[in-house]
Amino acid sequence: MSAADAPNRRRRDTWLIFIALSVFTVINLMPLIWAVLTSLKDPRDAFTIPPTIIFEPTLEYHRQVWFENDFFVYLKNSLIVSAGTVLISVPFGSLAAYALSRIPRRSAGPILSALFTIRMFPHMLLAIPFFVMGTFLNLIDSYILLILALVAINQPFTIWLMHGFFLDIPRDLDEAAAIDGCTSWQAFRIVILPLARPGMTVAALFSLLLSYNEFLFALVLTGTSTKTLPVAIASFGGEDISSWSLSAAGAIGIMLPIVVVMLLLQRYLVRGLTAGAVKG
Amino acid sequence: MDLRSRPVGALAGVVPALLLAAMAAGPAAAQDTIRIISHRQPALEYYTGKMAAALPEGRVTVELMPIDRELELASITMSSQSDAIDVLYLNDASFQRFAANGWLEPLDDLWEKYREEYDLDDFPQSVIDAVSYDGKIYAMPIQTNTELFFYRTDLLEEAGIEPPTTMEEYAAAAAQLHSARTAGTIMSLKPVDAALNEAHWYMNAIGDGWFDDAWKPIFNNAAGVEAITKLKEMTQYAPRGFTAHANDESTINLQQGLAAMGLQWFTRAAAMDNPEQSRVVGEMGWVAPPGGGARIANDGFAISRFSSNDRDEMFRMMAEAASKESMREGAQFAMPPRLSVLEDPALAEQFRWYTAAREAVESGQAFPAMPDFLDVGEIVTRHILRAVTGEAEVQAALDQAAAETESLLASRGYYN
Amino acid sequence: MVSWQRGLWLFFVPSFGLLAVVLLWPLGYAIYLSFFDYFLGTGTRTFIGLGNYIELLSEARLWRSMWTTIIIAFGSVALEFAVGFALALALYRLNSSAKVFSVLLFLPHIVTPVVAALFLKWMLAANWGLVDATLLTFDITPPDWLGDPLWAKVSVILADAWIFTPLIMMVLYAALQGLDASLIEAAQIDGASNWRILRHVIIPALIPAIIFTISVRLMDVFRFFDLIYVLTGGGPGTATETITMYTYQLGFRMLEVGKASALGVITLVIVAALLLSINRALNSIYRGGDR
Repeated sequence: MSAADAPNRRRRDTWLIFIALSVFTVINLMPLIWAVLTSLKDPRDAFTIPPTIIFEPTLEYHRQVWFENDFFVYLKNSLIVSAGTVLISVPFGSLAAYALSRIPRRSAGPILSALFTIRMFPHMLLAIPFFVMGTFLNLIDSYILLILALVAINQPFTIWLMHGFFLDIPRDLDEAAAIDGCTSWQAFRIVILPLARPGMTVAALFSLLLSYNEFLFALVLTGTSTKTLPVAIASFGGEDISSWSLSAAGAIGIMLPIVVVMLLLQRYLVRGLTAGAVKG
Repeated sequence: MDLRSRPVGALAGVVPALLLAAMAAGPAAAQDTIRIISHRQPALEYYTGKMAAALPEGRVTVELMPIDRELELASITMSSQSDAIDVLYLNDASFQRFAANGWLEPLDDLWEKYREEYDLDDFPQSVIDAVSYDGKIYAMPIQTNTELFFYRTDLLEEAGIEPPTTMEEYAAAAAQLHSARTAGTIMSLKPVDAALNEAHWYMNAIGDGWFDDAWKPIFNNAAGVEAITKLKEMTQYAPRGFTAHANDESTINLQQGLAAMGLQWFTRAAAMDNPEQSRVVGEMGWVAPPGGGARIANDGFAISRFSSNDRDEMFRMMAEAASKESMREGAQFAMPPRLSVLEDPALAEQFRWYTAAREAVESGQAFPAMPDFLDVGEIVTRHILRAVTGEAEVQAALDQAAAETESLLASRGYYN
Repeated sequence: MVSWQRGLWLFFVPSFGLLAVVLLWPLGYAIYLSFFDYFLGTGTRTFIGLGNYIELLSEARLWRSMWTTIIIAFGSVALEFAVGFALALALYRLNSSAKVFSVLLFLPHIVTPVVAALFLKWMLAANWGLVDATLLTFDITPPDWLGDPLWAKVSVILADAWIFTPLIMMVLYAALQGLDASLIEAAQIDGASNWRILRHVIIPALIPAIIFTISVRLMDVFRFFDLIYVLTGGGPGTATETITMYTYQLGFRMLEVGKASALGVITLVIVAALLLSINRALNSIYRGGDR
C-alpha cells in the first residue's frame, strides 16, 4: 500500500459508513415517520395493502387533540410533575452520590447494590401501596405524591450516574479545601459542585425522560385535575379505529415537547456523558 | 449542631415541608364534582356525555380510558375505600365482581322512587337481573351488547353460499372462502378478553358450557374438547397474526376486506358502513352467530359505595342518560336495553343490523353469573391458547385448566 | 478519616430519607403481604407463612415464564449492545456529520413507552401493519411477526431494542469521545489493523461504560412489560409470557395481591442473584483487561 492510498481508502470507508448509517437511520425512524403519516390520514387510508403513501393530508386530528381535549392542561400537569421530579431528584441524588464517592469503596459497593435491588422490584406491585399511602394522606389527585414516587424510583439511577462523576473528581480537591478550612458542605458546594455540572445535566435529562413518560403511577395517583399526558393519551386509544388517527395525533403531540427539549439539550447530554458519567 | 450540617439539614426538611404544603393545598376541588370513569367507545362516549349534560356545567367530570386501565384504577381505588371515583362503567363480568366485593351502592330504593318518572319498568326483567346481584339492583342498564356474525354478502353470493346457521356450515364456508389474500374468517385470540369471548361461543355452541349447577367445571368433558378442537381447526382459515388480534384488529381486517366473515361485537357494525374507515361499505351482512351461544352482555353505570356525593343526584343523572329519548338517539351506537326503543320497527329500518341483533340476543348466552368468571377466564384462556398453538394437547390443557379453576373457586369459597 | 469527612453522613439524609419513606415502606409492605392469602376483592387476609412461595415455586408456569423472561432479556440486551456499539463506532468515525445522526438515532428513546408500543404495533401487525403491507404488495409473504411463537419472541426483542439501543449508543459514543485519540493514532502509525485497534485499544478503554450500559439494561429489561402487553398480550399461547406479565395477571387482573407480591419478591431475588454473578464476571474481565 502506498502512502497516497491510505487517505483515499479512509475517505472511501467514511463514505460507506455514512451511507450505511443513513439507510439505518431511515429504517430506524420508520415507526415514527409512519405514525406521523397516520396522524395526517383518515382512518380508512391508515391501514391498507399496499400502504397508502399518497393521500390528502388532514390536520383535523391534531386539531382535535390540541384544542378539543384539554391538551394544554395535561401538558401543564406533565411539566409540573417533570420539573418537580428533576428539581428534587438531582440535588438529593447528587448529595448522596457525592458522599458515596467519598466513603471507602467497600462500604459504597453494597449500598449501590442495595439501591439497584430496589430499582428492580416490579413497579406494578408498588402501585397499590402508593395508592393506599395517597388515600391515607389525602394526596390522591395532587402533584406531590406522584413527584415523590417518581423521585424515589429514579434515585438509584441518579445516584449511580452522579457517583461516577464524583469518583472522577480527585479527592485531593476536597482535601485541599479541607486544609483551607472548609466544612464538607462548603467543599462540596464551592469546589466540587461546579465540576459536576455536566453530570447533573445528564442526570436531569434522564429524570426528565422518566417523569415525563411514566404511566402507571401517574394513572393511579392522579385524578381529574392533575392527569399527566401519558394517562390522557391512553384514553385516545381503543375500541374504534376512527380514534386511531386520533391516537397517532395524540402520540405525536405528547412527543413534540420532549423532543424539542431533547434537541436543545442534546449536546449537553453527549458532553456530560463524555465528562465521565460512566467511569464508575 | 455546628454550621456544616445546616444546609443539608435544611434540604432534608424539604420533604416534610412539601408534604405539609401539599396537604394544606389539598385536592379540595375534587370533592364537589362527580367523577365518572368509563371505557372509551362511541356508545359510552355518547352516554357519558349525556350524563354530564344532565347536570349543570362543571358538576361532572368524565374520564375515558381503555377498559383494562379503568378496571385497574377502579379496583385499586375501591379496595382502599377511597371516594376518588363516584360513578363507573361496568360490563357484565366486572359488575358481578364489584358487586360481590361490596364496592357498589345498592340502588333499590332509588329505583322504586324514580320508577314512574323515568319509566324504569321499560327495562325487561332479563336486563334487570343482569344488573342485580344477590337480589339487589346495583347499576343503571345502558347498553345490551351482543356478538353478531358478520359476513360479506358479495363474497358469499359469488360463491353461492347461504349465511351459515350451524358451526358445520360456518366451517365449510370459511374453508371455501379462504384464500391467500382474504382469510376465511376473523378470529380474535389475543389473550385474555378477546380470546375468552371467542372460546365462550364455541364452548356454548359445541360444548356444554363452562360449569354445572354446582360450579364444577365441565368444559373439559368430551363436548368441551370437541369445541376447542374445532376452534383450533378453524384457526387455519384465520388471518395471519390472529393470536395477537383483539376486536380492533379484527374490525380492521373486516373493514379492509382482509377477511370474509366472523364473530364480532354489535358495536362494531356501524363502522363497517362508515366510508371514512371502511372499504366494504354496504357489502357487510349480519346474522345471529351460527350455533348460538355467543356472548351477550348487559352493561351499565354504577355508583361507588364510597362516593361522598349525593346518591339521589347521581341516580337521576344516570337515569337521564338512560331515558327513552336518550336511548333512541344512542341506538346508533349500541343496542338499547329499553323494550320500547328496541321494539320500535323504525330502528331496524334505519340500522341494517338490528334484525340480526335481536335474534342474537335470543340465541346468545351471557357469561356465567359468578363474580369470579373473569379470573376463571384468565386461567382457562391461557390453557385454551396453549392448546390452539400446539403447546399442549387439547384434553390435557383443558384438564389442567379445570383443575386450576376448581382450586381457585375452592379458595373463593364456592364449594363450602 | 479526615476531619471534614465527619459530616458526610448528613449528605445521605435527604435521598435515603425519601427512599425510606416513599420506597422502602411500600416494598416492606409488599414483602409483608407476600406471607398472606390476600384477595383484594373481599379484602380478607389470612396469614399463610410461606404458602404463596411454596405454591409459586412448584408451578411449572413460574419457571416457564422465568425462562421466557431470561431469553427475551438476554436477547434484547445482546442485540442492543451489538447494534449500539456498532452505531457508536460509526458515529465516532464520522465525526463531522455525527451530530445530526446522533440526534436522529436517539429519537426512539424519547418516545413515551406506551406510545412506542402502539407505533411498533402499527409496524408489525399482520396484513395491515406497514412491514406486512409493504411486503405483501410485492407478493412476498412475510413470517407471522406476532403470531408465530418464535417470531413473536424476536419481534418483542426487536421492539425493546428499538427503544433502548439509542441509550447504549449514546453512552458508548460519549465514552469514545472521552478516549485519548493519540492512543489510536499511535496504533495506526504502528500499522495495526482496525480490528486490532478495536480489540486492544478501544474496548479495554470502554470497559467501564460497557459494564454500566449492560448492567443498567439488564436491570430494567426484567421489568419489561408495556411493549409485550400491547404487542402480543403474552401470546401466542404462552410464548411471550414474561414474569412481569404473570405478576400483572395475578395482581391487577385477579387481585391476588398476596401471591403477586410473593412473585415480585421471587423475581427480585432471582434477578439480583443473576445480575450479581454477571457483574462479577464482567468485573473480572475488566480487571483482566486492565492489565
